Amino acid sequence: MSTGSTRYKGKSGQWAFLGHRITGFLVFLFLLLHIVDVSLLRWPETYDQVHRLYGNVVLRLFEVGLLLALVFHTFNGMRIVAVDMFPEAVRNQRRLLQVVVALTLLTGIPGGVVIMWPFIEGRIL
Amino acid sequence: MTALETPPPKPRVRARSPEAWSWVFMRLSGLALVFLALIHFTITHIVNDVVETDYDFVAERWHNPAWRMFDWLLLVLALSHGVNGLRTIVDDYVRSPGRRKAVKAVLYGLTGVLVIVGTFTILAFPTRPR
Repeated sequence: MSTGSTRYKGKSGQWAFLGHRITGFLVFLFLLLHIVDVSLLRWPETYDQVHRLYGNVVLRLFEVGLLLALVFHTFNGMRIVAVDMFPEAVRNQRRLLQVVVALTLLTGIPGGVVIMWPFIEGRIL
Repeated sequence: MTALETPPPKPRVRARSPEAWSWVFMRLSGLALVFLALIHFTITHIVNDVVETDYDFVAERWHNPAWRMFDWLLLVLALSHGVNGLRTIVDDYVRSPGRRKAVKAVLYGLTGVLVIVGTFTILAFPTRPR
């Protein structure tokens, strides 16, 4: 690594830190959009029209991305709380992050398949 | 063993500074959101397909005040957890005091507007179907 780099050599912990920030930021951005689209409930026809857009394949992929960001942020957040409560757990911090990634994939992939199912079945394009 | 794998000394927080309260808040709201956000996502994206969650679907759920309360708690906790996280990110990356102040003003203003819009959406929704 070059000496001019601002990266600290935290290894897996650094990636967990970065992942937590990025996923938190992305979920927050979605939340802004989501509060605005739900506010359209005041005009039922408009709400239903806009809402139907979420069913197309591009926004379904976006939905899968949201799920992955959400579950990673959830499980990594639980890891952070666990290390705060039991500082000894830091000895196994690399294993803990592997568990976080495994849980993210174990929940995110089946969830993603369910979300993409209408597309997989060929019902939508 | 690297230095990182050495457990830190047990934290002894005596003074309850605003940052200490922020730390407590992130843990408590985060743990509540594990349930609130995941239940919400499971109902609206997994159990029901996203296209099924139309106006009539919301009307049926919000007929029950407990679900309105659930959604309002999710709104407030998700926004405040998110804005507090973004506050620390702004502190880390926006170095000039003037710009930091400006970015935070926009962030807090936007969050405040969204709390009001979201609360209004939940409260103003009619109690009987259209």
